[in-house]
Amino acid sequence: MRTPQTRSRASVGFNMTPMIDVVFLLIIFFLVSSHLAQQETQLELDLPDAASGERPIDDDIRRVVVNVLPDDGPAPRIQVGSRLVPPEDLDRLIGFESQQTDGKIEVRIRADRHVPYRVVEPIMIACARAGVWKVTFAVVAGG
Amino acid sequence: MRRPAYHRESQTLGATMTPMIDVIFQLLIFFVCTASFQAAEEVLPTNLSLPGSIDSAVPIDPDLKDLDEIVVKILREEGGVRWEINGRRCTRLAEVRAVLAGVAQVKIDLPVILDVDGGVPLENVIDVYDVCRQLGLERIQFAASLSS
Repeated sequence: MRTPQTRSRASVGFNMTPMIDVVFLLIIFFLVSSHLAQQETQLELDLPDAASGERPIDDDIRRVVVNVLPDDGPAPRIQVGSRLVPPEDLDRLIGFESQQTDGKIEVRIRADRHVPYRVVEPIMIACARAGVWKVTFAVVAGG
Repeated sequence: MRRPAYHRESQTLGATMTPMIDVIFQLLIFFVCTASFQAAEEVLPTNLSLPGSIDSAVPIDPDLKDLDEIVVKILREEGGVRWEINGRRCTRLAEVRAVLAGVAQVKIDLPVILDVDGGVPLENVIDVYDVCRQLGLERIQFAASLSS
């Protein structure tokens, strides 16, 4: 008895479904992990609201992010990168960064909304002393 | 022998539902994971100027001589903040907006100088800054002295 032609054709045929499943899963995994990795680079702070904020531009300019953490004690903490910086060291730090790039840096101040202005002011003064005029405040849309 | 009809029907229904549920489940996970529950972060650009760096003489219209700059003082007081615009006292942010809107109609390129008390929360400073930017007053400066 002769086997039907259709069966042999079916066994040779390549089943794409599991491969598509796996590829789809990999795509989702990389999309999600890259998204989460981007989110986790920023320190979580309760930023002030502003209605006239602009979307940050991804340019090549070097950016120094100064985080100001709220604190119940006498001095809120200033964090640059992952380390805490005493306020008196800010001049030196921003001055050094500015020298490296000939003043073409952006200083982004990410300060908690409840931080008193006296903590933020020395950061701006340090920027002005170092010749950095591009200072931005991180805000959240709203207001 | 003939199979009962209901059995065959239920089998085909189960076979078609499974991949659909798979896909829907994957899409659900994807959107749950990628949805950002935090509000998007934006930036407010500033242009720092300190006393001594804005000495360039700007010709002023004689009619607007008393309006060569707007000094907004933000002062801390019991239970909140209050504002003073060129000496005029405001108790609500809406008043500040109204006064600045009037000024912006007269001369849009007036520099606004924010003189902020050290104890004022940054939130209140950003509020006034935001109001100025919304009204089109783009020349906003922070009062500071290099000796501090």
